[in-house]
Amino acid sequence: MKQFLIYTAKVLLITVLIAVLMDGLYTYVFLQSKNRGKIETVFNSKSQNYDVVILGSSRANNHFVSKMFEDKGLKTFNYGMSGGHLFEASLLLKLMIERKYSIKNVILEADLNLSNDHQAEGIAALFLPYIHNSQTIKQHFQSNENFNELYYIPFYRYIKYDGKIGFRETYKIVKREKTNALDNLGYYPLAKHKNGNMKNNIVNLNPLKHNKYYEEIKNICKEKKINFIAVMTPMCENVAGMNYFEKVKKAYPEIHNYENAVVENKYFSSCGHMTDTGARLFTATILKDFFNK
Amino acid sequence: MFFNSIAFAIFLPIVFFLYWFVFNKTKSTQNALLIIVSYYFYSCWDWRFLFLLVFSTFLDYYTGIQIEKGKSEKSRKFWFWLSILVNLGFLGIFKYYNFFAASFSELLNSVGLKTSPVLLNVILPVGISFYTFHGLSYVIDIYYKRIKAEYNFIDYSLFVSYFPLLVAGPIERATHLLPQVKVKREFDFEKAKEGFCQLVWGLFKKVVIADNCAIYANNIFDNYASMDSFSLILGAVYFAFQIYGDFSGYSDIALGVSKLFGIDLLRNFNYPYFSRDIAEFWRRWHISLSSWFRDYLYIPLGGSKGSKLMQIRNVFIIFLVSGFWHGANWTYIVWGLIHATYFLVLLLLKKNRNNFGKIRISWNVSSAKTIGSILVTFAITCFSWIFFRSLNIYMALDYIKRIVSFNFTLDSFKEHVSFIIIIILPYLILLEWNNRNKECPLFDRFSKIKVVITILFILLFGQFDIQSKFIYFQF
Repeated sequence: MKQFLIYTAKVLLITVLIAVLMDGLYTYVFLQSKNRGKIETVFNSKSQNYDVVILGSSRANNHFVSKMFEDKGLKTFNYGMSGGHLFEASLLLKLMIERKYSIKNVILEADLNLSNDHQAEGIAALFLPYIHNSQTIKQHFQSNENFNELYYIPFYRYIKYDGKIGFRETYKIVKREKTNALDNLGYYPLAKHKNGNMKNNIVNLNPLKHNKYYEEIKNICKEKKINFIAVMTPMCENVAGMNYFEKVKKAYPEIHNYENAVVENKYFSSCGHMTDTGARLFTATILKDFFNK
Repeated sequence: MFFNSIAFAIFLPIVFFLYWFVFNKTKSTQNALLIIVSYYFYSCWDWRFLFLLVFSTFLDYYTGIQIEKGKSEKSRKFWFWLSILVNLGFLGIFKYYNFFAASFSELLNSVGLKTSPVLLNVILPVGISFYTFHGLSYVIDIYYKRIKAEYNFIDYSLFVSYFPLLVAGPIERATHLLPQVKVKREFDFEKAKEGFCQLVWGLFKKVVIADNCAIYANNIFDNYASMDSFSLILGAVYFAFQIYGDFSGYSDIALGVSKLFGIDLLRNFNYPYFSRDIAEFWRRWHISLSSWFRDYLYIPLGGSKGSKLMQIRNVFIIFLVSGFWHGANWTYIVWGLIHATYFLVLLLLKKNRNNFGKIRISWNVSSAKTIGSILVTFAITCFSWIFFRSLNIYMALDYIKRIVSFNFTLDSFKEHVSFIIIIILPYLILLEWNNRNKECPLFDRFSKIKVVITILFILLFGQFDIQSKFIYFQF
């Protein structure tokens, strides 16, 4: 038995050593990454100046045309992330502050995402390579129930989220393969989708009365003297439970309701996402209303 | 609780510690612990099915004793058939009832009688096909006086419910497993070390080979209508490796875990893709099931004895039942029939017993012929997997039709062959080929180096998504 325990202990020790080495190697590679996604770009960046920073989910990513802001002389980047929740939007803003970004305005898409305050597994995973290099990320994840595994077990986070930050992604970073996440100043235009789902049911959706991460974003902006603009963005015509937006307005009076800014289905790729044409109409309204441009 | 889960990684060392350091005094304490942890392991899927498992165990235990004690042939027959019918009845209700009801209704509808089948809304209990077959072989062996009935309920329960083999085999025989659970197990370093190596190799086959190939196989099969011929061929090959890695990986983990507790289980796979013909393939693939059907169905039917017509009938019956065992779907039945046809050619040419010896390769014509035979056997096996993987017969036929349209594009190679696949498949093939005469490729020479490299591959390329279940759990 003693012999076997020594044997397994040796193998386990070697496994831990390999895991530590791989952890270091992967993290090193991620720390060099600049052209793959918004998170690593922010993490590996130095101080930037922005007139407008856009945050939110895909409904921010597909709805705010950054180029239109730039054309009006406003330095802008759309940091909306498809699949992201407010958990990630808040963390991204914290990282920008940590890197001493100078931001005049933050536009936050705050509507359907107010209904939860948990992380979006896929997007949250993209912050994990830097968890040991950033107090901000560490603190943000600290309240998660699997924080200890993710933080203390070497290489565990890369194994658990292999699809996002595993071998394939590391290999692509090494190959310097570009993605389109940073094209169009972060804005991702959608085309009219022939089979796009033009119905949505949000009857059972309710905004949280105090969304922790929404409040965090609001407070950071207040503290850093950033003009905070929270908006609800448009939905298609056939939505059951449209009173959701009224419920949001009631709970968060400061959020501007633009749900009706664009309504016709021809401007939508799917019920919750406008086409490029719809996004341009919407962005023009925002520019006029908030920037007088 | 899957073998590739964190929960199992915690469960196993705890059980190992309790088994060798706390409950190691007698055989009874060892068995009692294994029974408790086996029931806990099974209840992690769905505790309600535990009642079915305990009932099935008690039924075979009791009927086994009654058969042995039976004074008259009539009484022995009664208990024997009671056990067979109840066991098959459960299997029939849970696994096959809906299939027969739907097929019968379709048949009536096709002749103009409008019916709608009454279907049962029940989940298939995990491992039911495996533990039912354990019980059946036990009762049949007692009836034919090949073994004595087991009077110790704990020992018998362990034979049926031993956790490494409970949910996906190997299908054990009382003659092999019961003698081992009837004695106190002493720790054997070499056996435990071999078990550890086998566990690592099984994990590699599951999380690296099966789950990486599954990404491509699923993508190709799910979108087969838009794929070119080359992609479709790759899809079949990927599925061949997926199902091999998945099932033989599970079996290796089961065998390895069991060796840690000093118990040998029946070997279930013997490098089946190195087979030189389809008869050899069936001596190397899912061995415990093939041998079960051989001993309890094929031989009682007359086997390869009797007239040619009888031999043909027996071959078709055994492959048909084997296909049907996998599930209530016509695709499995056709898969079985394809293998029956392959086998029949060998049987009629009297070549089904040609390749019993070891595979020897050197630089000569005969070796080239051997490699050619291996590749042909692999190719026809991949062809049959198309039916196994397809959702229905129409899909399988359409898939094949699209392969033979010979429409090739270079892009498909780029899209469906990744850097990871180029590393992991040759590693699997080379290691298994070079160690094809051993049960575990990682054991013996250069064991430590091979284990470390394999662990590195698991960490680098393993897919640890708990959603990717073991394919054979559904059977």
